[in-house]
Amino acid sequence: MDKEKEQKKKRGGIFGGFREFIYGMAAHDTARFALKTRGSMEHLFILVTMGDMLGIPILPPYYSLRLLPYVVPQIATWKRRMLREKDFTDTLA
Amino acid sequence: MNLREILAANPKMKYIMFGGKGGLGKTTFSAAAGYYLAKQGHRVLVFSVDPQASLSDIFQRDIFGKGAVEVMENLWAQEIDADKRIHEFQDEVRRRILERYGLERVPEEIESYISAAASEPAMEESAIFDAVVDIVFQGNYDYYVYDLVPLGHALYYLSMSSIYDQWINKVTELRAEMQRYTRVIQRMRSREESEEDEILGELQEIRQRINLASSIFTDREKTGFFFVMTPEEMTILDTLKAQELFTKFGVPVGGFVVNRVIPDSLLAESVPDYLKNRIRSQKEPLAKIEELFGKRIVARVQEFERDITGLEMIARVSEQLFQGG
Repeated sequence: MDKEKEQKKKRGGIFGGFREFIYGMAAHDTARFALKTRGSMEHLFILVTMGDMLGIPILPPYYSLRLLPYVVPQIATWKRRMLREKDFTDTLA
Repeated sequence: MNLREILAANPKMKYIMFGGKGGLGKTTFSAAAGYYLAKQGHRVLVFSVDPQASLSDIFQRDIFGKGAVEVMENLWAQEIDADKRIHEFQDEVRRRILERYGLERVPEEIESYISAAASEPAMEESAIFDAVVDIVFQGNYDYYVYDLVPLGHALYYLSMSSIYDQWINKVTELRAEMQRYTRVIQRMRSREESEEDEILGELQEIRQRINLASSIFTDREKTGFFFVMTPEEMTILDTLKAQELFTKFGVPVGGFVVNRVIPDSLLAESVPDYLKNRIRSQKEPLAKIEELFGKRIVARVQEFERDITGLEMIARVSEQLFQGG
């Protein structure tokens, strides 16, 4: 029994390594792009729901407050992104 | 049909509302309708969404912000204290943030946002709106009698719910799209499915609540909306305008109640000329009301010799409100 398990694990390991390799070759960029899009959407979402932190009231404040507890950690980065000055490094991001 | 017949013919009607200009008797009729239904053995809640509510005055008890208070057998009255509700809500938001992130105190910029949000003009309306949803959601009563705010506010309240609904829909769409991306990323990285998106859940709940609140206003079977007016040229014109607007918002108008009618019979008695003139000056508007609203008038209530406060007076109004027509 133990031997069988070990073998399985080993096979999984080899297979897993192969999978990681393929991922690195093909999907890494796509995943990075998806992550970036997801990140932008996150900021858009916070803008729509918490906009009045920047003086842009969009969603009624009562509902903003209901959503606030979930987005507390994202708020600092969001504000930085929204308020920062644009410079040439933006094209590299 | 009079009010009694309307209620008997519509057994599903459990939300009764009186609307109209300020000072025409909405609170009086809300109390009287509550009284009548409670006397019939139903459990009734009369509640006010008006920040300057007067249920306390009519029932001669201080009920403001005290939740549902039993004012007689089967009859409860409630005045929503919006300020108190906003403060409780803010505390709840703070508590959730502290708990969620194991913090000792709320970060400064978040705290300033929470305090600032409370003073936004839309906050009070939203808080009241939400309180009403809570009351209706709990479903503890057979009948709910809404003592509505004056017309302009009621319309604002209605349009607000449709705008909120659209907003929440958009935001929910965005959130759902975000969740799809999250899933793609996770699948590509061969990770297991994440837990359900809590924000999406929250948004869906908000939407459900808004929909419930606005669907009550437009439900022909469950809701009876009655306009209150008095025999005066001005109120007739206002009522006509308001009726048009309410129809535009899809609110079915159940009928009209004419208030403050001075009994004709007084003309035969020896009353001062002043009163006789008042009676005569009501004649024309009354005829106009008959012509315009005719069969849709569900009750005609007389002007009483004193103000309507206390259960005894409410009982007298209730008698006319439900027997007349």
